Amino acid sequence: MIADIGRCFLFCLEAMDVLRRKGVSRREVFHQIWRVTIQSLPTTAMAGFFVGAIMTVQFTMQVEMYGALGYLGGLSTSATVRQVGPLLIAFMLSGKVGAYTAAELGTMRVTEQIDAIRCLGANPFQELILPRMIAIIVSSFALLAAGLLMSIAGGVTLGIFFSGINPDEYLRHIPTIVGWPSIATGLFKCIAFAIVLAAICTYKGYTATGGARGVGRAVVQTAVATMVSLVVADWCTSLIADAIVEVSLSVFKSGAAL
Amino acid sequence: MMGGRTLNLATGLLVKTLDFSSFAAQSWFAAVRPPFRLRDIVRQIHFIAVEGLWIIVLCVCAAAMVTILEASFHMRLLIQNDAMVPGFAAMLILRELGAVVMALLVTSRAGAGMAAEVASMKITEQIDALRMLGLEPIRFLVAPRLIAGIIAGATMSLIANCVCLIAAMGVSILKLGSTAGLFMSMSRPFVTGQDLCFAMIKGAAFGAVIPLFACYWGLRSRAGAEGVGLATTNAVVSTSIAIIIIDFILSYLFSYFY
Repeated sequence: MIADIGRCFLFCLEAMDVLRRKGVSRREVFHQIWRVTIQSLPTTAMAGFFVGAIMTVQFTMQVEMYGALGYLGGLSTSATVRQVGPLLIAFMLSGKVGAYTAAELGTMRVTEQIDAIRCLGANPFQELILPRMIAIIVSSFALLAAGLLMSIAGGVTLGIFFSGINPDEYLRHIPTIVGWPSIATGLFKCIAFAIVLAAICTYKGYTATGGARGVGRAVVQTAVATMVSLVVADWCTSLIADAIVEVSLSVFKSGAAL
Repeated sequence: MMGGRTLNLATGLLVKTLDFSSFAAQSWFAAVRPPFRLRDIVRQIHFIAVEGLWIIVLCVCAAAMVTILEASFHMRLLIQNDAMVPGFAAMLILRELGAVVMALLVTSRAGAGMAAEVASMKITEQIDALRMLGLEPIRFLVAPRLIAGIIAGATMSLIANCVCLIAAMGVSILKLGSTAGLFMSMSRPFVTGQDLCFAMIKGAAFGAVIPLFACYWGLRSRAGAEGVGLATTNAVVSTSIAIIIIDFILSYLFSYFY
């Protein structure tokens, strides 16, 4: 397992080296970005809606007892954007993007298309890996941010139907509780998760071996490795983001309550 | 021009829905009729449930703990009181989080793996070989996976929920300053054994959906490396959306029993 982590790092280093020396076809990158984004948008939107809905239901039951339903919008949006949203949406996105990339690269590997590319004198990193890596980082970040926006929509919908409050009232308290540190923490997590996802799924797909079963195995391993890394990355980014927010708040001595 | 395209899309969707319905009906019919392929069923249960159990339980626990910490952080911020958090955390885990997040993670691990495996079998003409040997793919491949999915889904939902409750208790003791007895006495009025039963029913329903979609898209995949990738994504997307829709329906039905 530790050897795998090391190989994954070496793989990323080699990709970066190729990027520095040879560059990458911009056209291919945009093509991949388009594909990943279009294909994953429904899942991400659905996941975001679901996360927002769940957090709203959870907070409704709690604040209802204290008669503080007015704060519901701010509370559930803040909780979703800061921590719960990025993690849960990234779980679902990883299943989608990771499985697709690993299956595609794995099939190319076991049907010897990658060797064919090498035979033709082209570099598989430049042609296949780098465009996918860059595209996954860019579009996962965009998709996670879009999912967070959708979670507000999910929260408003459930706020209307489940807790019976006015959408106007729901939206009014979002800016009072959600400050820039919450949003910055959420986006920081999104970037970290996007990088983790891109590195693992391209690595696992590229190193697949052994026929049809091997492709299936690569897909399964991608899912497992991404899930564990996402949990670890979530923990690390929480610590880092909290520290940065603390420091910057104490430096500026101003800003929002959070 | 635009109208024709929309019509084509709608017809395509309708055809796909009908195709999937007939496929699902055939699979159920094949699954309930003996002879059962006991060895295959056990192997699939091992693949779906046993191999990924602890990874998935770990991720569900991480999601639950993050949710609890966020809920308590915001309740303290707003009303300086998080006494109700344990009860609602237990309720959230048993009613929504445990089963749904478990199922979504199983989708990205076992569902994607299954789809990639079946699709690779299809494009390397192993499915045609099976047909030629007189083995019906639905009886031979899909039915054992369907039965295994139902059993594994119910069992994993039970285990994930129980471990998740223990993790919730642990995080309340360590981070929220609660005690084990306080956690249990606070959550007892909110949850009953019935909730665990409902979580298992949900798990079984999700477990049935995963192999159906995975095998459907796998068996219908087109040739080439891109076909395998596309089958995997389609499987993950349609399963995730189906899981969330089924979850809303089941939650609505169960709400009559509380």
